[in-house]
Amino acid sequence: MAYLYYPGCSLKTGGRAYEESILAVFKALGEPLNELPDWNCCGATTYMSIDEAKAFTLAARNLALAGKSAGGPCDLVTPCAACFLTLRKAQHAIDEKPDIGRRVKEGLKKVGLPGEWQVRVRHPLDVLVNDLGVDRIAKSVKKPLSGIRVASYYGCQIVRPYESFDDPVEPRTMDQIMEALGATVVDWPLRSRCCGGSLSGTTPDVGLWLPFILLQEAKKKGADVMATACPLCQFNLECNQDQIKARYGDAAQLPVAYFTQLMGLALGLPAQDLGIQRLFVPLPKNVRETEHARA
Amino acid sequence: MTDTISHPRIRYQEKADPEFANEIAAMVGGDELLSCIQCGTCSGVCPVSPYMDYTPRQVIALTKAGLKEEVLSCKTIWLCASCYACTTACPKQIKVTDVMYALKRKAIQAGHYPKRFPIPVLANEFYRAVESSGRSSEGRLIVRLYAKTNPFGLFGKMRLGMGLLRTGRFSLKREKTANPSDVRDLLNSVEAGGK
Amino acid sequence: MYGRLNMPEPEPILNGAPKIGVYVCHCGINIASKVDVKAVVEFAATLPFVSVAKEYKFMCSDPGQDMIKEDIRAGKVNRVVVASCSPLMHEVTFRRAIKDAGENPFLFQMANIREHVSWVTSDGADATEKAKSHISAAVRRVALHDSLDRKRVEVRRDVLVVGAGIAGIQAALQIADSGKKVYLVEREPTIGGHMAQFDKTFPTLDCAACILTPKMTQVRAHPNIELLTYSEIESVDGFVGNFDVKIRRKARYVREDLCTGCDECTSVCPVHLPSEFDEGMSQRKAIYRAFPQAVPNVFTISRKGAPPCQAGCSIHQNAQGYVTLIGQGEFKEALDVILRDNPLPSICGRVCTHPCTEHCTRAKVDDPLNIPGLKRFVTDRFPDYEIPKPAKERPETVAVVGAGPAGLMCAHELRQRGFKPVIYEASSVPGGMLTLGIPAFRLPRTVIGQEIKRLEATGIEIKLNSPIGKETTLEDLRKRHAAVFLGIGAHQERKLGIEGESLPNIWGGIEFLRKVNLEGPFSIGKRVVVIGGGNSALDAARTALRCGAEKVTIAYRRTRTEMPADPEEVEDTETEGVELLLLTAPKAIQGSPEKGVTALECFKMKLGAADASGRAAPEIIPGSDFRIDCDAVIATIGQIPDIASLGDKLGLDTTRWNTFEADQTTLETNIPGVFVGGDCVTGPDVVVNAMYAGKKAAISIERYLDGKNTHAGRESEAPFVPTYSVDTSGAVFHHKVPLPSIPLTSRKSFEEVRTGYTEAMAVEEAKRCLDCGVCCDCQLCATVCEPKAIDYSMHDEIRKLEVGAIILATGFKTFDAKRIPRYGYGKYPNVYTSLEVERMVNASGPFNGEVRLKDGSAPKRVAIVHCVGSRDENTNRYCSRVCCMYSMKLAHLIQERTGAEIFNFYIDIRAAGKGYEEFYERVQQEGVQFIRGRVAEVSDWAMSPDEEGKLVVRAEDTLLGVVRRIPVDMVVLSVGMEPQADVEEVRRKFNISCGTGGFFLERHPKLGPVSTFVDGISIAGACQSPKDIPDTVAQASAAAAEAMTLIDAGFVETEPFVTWIDDQACKGCKTCIDVCPYSAIFYDDVRHVAVVNEALCRGCGLCAMECPAHIPATKQYEDRQILAELTGALR
Repeated sequence: MAYLYYPGCSLKTGGRAYEESILAVFKALGEPLNELPDWNCCGATTYMSIDEAKAFTLAARNLALAGKSAGGPCDLVTPCAACFLTLRKAQHAIDEKPDIGRRVKEGLKKVGLPGEWQVRVRHPLDVLVNDLGVDRIAKSVKKPLSGIRVASYYGCQIVRPYESFDDPVEPRTMDQIMEALGATVVDWPLRSRCCGGSLSGTTPDVGLWLPFILLQEAKKKGADVMATACPLCQFNLECNQDQIKARYGDAAQLPVAYFTQLMGLALGLPAQDLGIQRLFVPLPKNVRETEHARA
Repeated sequence: MTDTISHPRIRYQEKADPEFANEIAAMVGGDELLSCIQCGTCSGVCPVSPYMDYTPRQVIALTKAGLKEEVLSCKTIWLCASCYACTTACPKQIKVTDVMYALKRKAIQAGHYPKRFPIPVLANEFYRAVESSGRSSEGRLIVRLYAKTNPFGLFGKMRLGMGLLRTGRFSLKREKTANPSDVRDLLNSVEAGGK
Repeated sequence: MYGRLNMPEPEPILNGAPKIGVYVCHCGINIASKVDVKAVVEFAATLPFVSVAKEYKFMCSDPGQDMIKEDIRAGKVNRVVVASCSPLMHEVTFRRAIKDAGENPFLFQMANIREHVSWVTSDGADATEKAKSHISAAVRRVALHDSLDRKRVEVRRDVLVVGAGIAGIQAALQIADSGKKVYLVEREPTIGGHMAQFDKTFPTLDCAACILTPKMTQVRAHPNIELLTYSEIESVDGFVGNFDVKIRRKARYVREDLCTGCDECTSVCPVHLPSEFDEGMSQRKAIYRAFPQAVPNVFTISRKGAPPCQAGCSIHQNAQGYVTLIGQGEFKEALDVILRDNPLPSICGRVCTHPCTEHCTRAKVDDPLNIPGLKRFVTDRFPDYEIPKPAKERPETVAVVGAGPAGLMCAHELRQRGFKPVIYEASSVPGGMLTLGIPAFRLPRTVIGQEIKRLEATGIEIKLNSPIGKETTLEDLRKRHAAVFLGIGAHQERKLGIEGESLPNIWGGIEFLRKVNLEGPFSIGKRVVVIGGGNSALDAARTALRCGAEKVTIAYRRTRTEMPADPEEVEDTETEGVELLLLTAPKAIQGSPEKGVTALECFKMKLGAADASGRAAPEIIPGSDFRIDCDAVIATIGQIPDIASLGDKLGLDTTRWNTFEADQTTLETNIPGVFVGGDCVTGPDVVVNAMYAGKKAAISIERYLDGKNTHAGRESEAPFVPTYSVDTSGAVFHHKVPLPSIPLTSRKSFEEVRTGYTEAMAVEEAKRCLDCGVCCDCQLCATVCEPKAIDYSMHDEIRKLEVGAIILATGFKTFDAKRIPRYGYGKYPNVYTSLEVERMVNASGPFNGEVRLKDGSAPKRVAIVHCVGSRDENTNRYCSRVCCMYSMKLAHLIQERTGAEIFNFYIDIRAAGKGYEEFYERVQQEGVQFIRGRVAEVSDWAMSPDEEGKLVVRAEDTLLGVVRRIPVDMVVLSVGMEPQADVEEVRRKFNISCGTGGFFLERHPKLGPVSTFVDGISIAGACQSPKDIPDTVAQASAAAAEAMTLIDAGFVETEPFVTWIDDQACKGCKTCIDVCPYSAIFYDDVRHVAVVNEALCRGCGLCAMECPAHIPATKQYEDRQILAELTGALR
């Protein structure tokens, strides 16, 4: 069964590299992703400011579209952590709060969308580890990331709050993938601690302090590069490093790439197809060599 | 007939709204609110609590005490980064993050949040953008946000902006669904809620 | 709201008209606040047969009861309905009142208008209506009640106490002191339970051992207590006063009556495992005693049975035994274990296909152990070891034909049984395929030679060049010997069946190897192709190289994974320069009689569907023909027994595969006294299976000569897979130690390629063993045990007990801290559970009472985390009650031992107990810090120089409203109490219930804290709910009193609601007898009817349902009574 793919707004702008690399990687592994036609914004945190039913309807429209286009049960691969959470949250609210569920479904029906669907919202990490399997990834590796020390950073929203595909405190899936790529994973305690992403734009004190903590700790534990699975985390951790440096010194200068970019390199895909050139902080020498070795 | 003499360290019961806790508990995610034992796990795991004027635990205490004004005007609820650490850690399974959202909604309804505080503004701006075009366009959003909250801050962000432009990660292009009005129509078709 | 049931008003059958008194209770306001009592009473008065209807505030009070008594005595009332609370509460009360007044107590019915009405109905009018219906039902029912009598049943005087922790010990002693016999059953090898592990006890800080061990010895010494340790409850039958209990006495493998507890055995036992008693912080042996003061002071062997390696081996060689000993550097002892089952160890150590390693559990972790390599190491180390001489001698001689593995093994086994075997070998050398089929570079001739000599030394005669069939016939052998075993092997080559096969220089694999092995190397040709994929293909190829061939190619029709050959041998073969052509099958051989072979024509193959053997069947790829130029071809496609050459098959039955026909279990043939085994029965097979056959035959021959049944009880001889599981979670990843070989350069001669392990290597490899069977059956302990207490033949026994009362004191288990990952237990070495620290601070603990970190140093700062696995919806909701206090105790002890700075993180302090609050104050005085806040996280995330390298404990100090980060050296997790893992199973066995949290449910939270809903069974201690020692002991005494009360009464009155069978109506079909769960129905052979034993009947009514004629009826629950009740309810 082919996977449907929900990019969300960020992967079209700030998180382009995430989209580029994830599409390339899934293609290389023989499971190309098909973008959900006419998707709309998941609604993110709007439900703080508007009627909940409306907010969840916004998200649910995508689920309805997915169900419609699949014409049956389907998996909707959602790389953006915020979208991943919002879509699942909507599904939960619809299932568990009868009143909201009813209003959402009626709303959708009024504009000619289905009120029922069998759509599983799934994160690429889940699909890669539990559907494709680590072995399949390991077998497809062309340029192992040998000797490269990766700190897997999961962020918060892909493992919390709902029962998910990985442990909410000590997630492992990304590390499994990194090991399959031949990299050395760094065992560090903050792998699922929030990066403060949603605050970086609005309250710099916090928005810079949290990423600083993460970068510093990852570096202290010996990481050459940090792998992320969320456009906001990546932006917040990477693009603000000059400001972080300005505030807290350069104890926290560390390349931050999407885990899919590192996968792409290990699978031997061309750097430009993975949006490597979009990174602010260049990848460490040994990683780039993997990449040149091939070019 | 004596007037109430207000004092920062005294809470007069007349200020308390006995129904407030129940209102919040009735909202999405409010379920377990009343069973809080004030253990402070939420504040302990919260990455942002050092920056809050009240720790999450205290916010719940205030809510249960019915000190509505004090809660709705506190910074904490706006600083919550919704990382759900508290929600998964809470020994009483209180969905603290959702409680924060519930309080934010109350605050916005009551027009009751710190002025010129960017987050609620962002929320509104964000919603307007989505409603009008079906998708949000980060670039435009950021610019509007700064324009509204702190116009000069934008200059501070110039370098970042340039960087983003250089790497093709920033544009003022307006993202939209095939037919932008679809989403608005959909939202209008949703029957308004009771509360 | 209530429908009307169209049913005739049932006619009361009774002595005199019923005069029913209805008494409605207000229960203070419990009922009256909802139910309009007045209206209800008025209604009641209108009901049939009701002579009196009254109300009162508390019917259960004396005045209330007196109302009833007076009415009865005054003759106004002869049947009673009380509308009040649940019968559970006061049925007994009112029955007694009625009895006192001289009326039969069962002419009474209770209407529950509290639990069923006022407490659960919101609307007053509804409640009143519902109350009326309940009363109406009760009135109509009681009108039809019969006067019943209770039966008295004798009570047995003995008591069973389950669990010998402090609760069980206390209860047992108390009952025993009152002169009654107590059976104290404990599942562990020693009594004492958790309390035995503790150091000091709060709040008085007296040491647990000092107050517990005297009680333990008292139990041991008490004439009225029979202690059944290492025993578990199998089943429980019967009823109050008359319980029949089956106890499983687990095999200790040490005789309790003989063991003196001298502790000699542990010094020689080679198996180490974590000590449960020390919470894994110290090691114990497979034979062990939990602690020196254990009661009984007897050792126990942890023994799961044959490990997978041994079970999987055809001759059940005890691999774990010698591997473990090697790991301990006890090589001589290892050799003795090897020689127990195997007379050819140095051969098997080299060429056995080791089925043992295929079953090795270690394979689930990394690689299986190199068991043969280890065996070889030992035999190499003692080159002049000897095979033990037989213990007894017997006159009979037995002929063994063939000196191959089957023959040698058979001869050995016969010799060990005292017979004199004579081996007839056709060839000029002994060893069979070992000598002829296996090249010297894998199995040096000297090794075979020595092995044969050792066997001869035990008294086995070998006649070489003595073929059977022509000169010597089978008949001659039968005349000469008491029995004959034929193990002639399979030496005749199978043909390829392709064109050109008759050309010169085309060899069968064994044919070629035999020539080289007998006559030495000869030049076979420059380019050689070997056809086949088995070990002999490899042997032939490598031998060809050593015969000077320049290019040797192996052609195999499947892929590498299907190759039958040992992968390591394949590797060796390739490194030696042999080319492997996979998916290649021979088509024809080209050449001419003059020039000889010039090339082998081949097909390329592809794998198709699986064939009979389960392997993918190769299919020819059309038009894929190609040729391999060569001047010799060796075909190793297997052999068949050379039966044809034996004159008319010796008169033995054969199969269509040209092998001998034999009985699978006994290897008997159609000729009595003639047995066959090995390749000549199975076709070409591995060495160890041939040995297996030889052994089987020897056993059959002994039985045959003793005139015993040759078949009986031989199931265990065959290889099997153990049923128990092995936990590999703790195993550390450690690859197999490779077996060293001689350099490639010297691989041209026939020098042995594998050189074998060095001592260091062998020990390292052996230490990888996971001790699957725990006890490795090396039997060293038996050698040092002076009182001869060790008995490996022990097995579980079932003991039947007849008791009157039962007390369950099965205790608790501690919460598994791993379930809360954010506290880092199992991740950070210096995060401990409270129980581990209890052991640590204990003077008899792993470190003699020293508190030390994993690096041996003493902690300078310690955090104690309360409520781990308590007060948490994600784990256990309830408060474990003891953690606050023991955390303070540990704080005090750790500080006392180390002077460390101590932080207690708590949610609320629960110090409700005598002297508890004072203790709280004391430890605060001692400087222990208390932070009110549940710990959020324990991690090694440092944010300041002070925190570097420490465990950082993060929590909100809720009293200050700030987050605190405290760097510590040691974290103690105060884990809560949980029900035993098997609580559900135990509950079912005793037919009691569990409440929230899974603990045993008491009869009443306040008034029946140690009773259960099953009369005669009481509960005491932590199995009922988390509690501390004082409460536990108090409960134990209460439970003891309950049991003694029951027993001293001497009898119990059974409920009269038993079933009776109308013997006029009964057809005697016996259906009821089978369904009765209490075996209370028996068959009267004289009158041919079923009869109920009222003493056993519980009135469950199953028989009534199953009876085709619907005859059995339960007193007071007969149809007429139930229908009347319904009619009343649906008024």
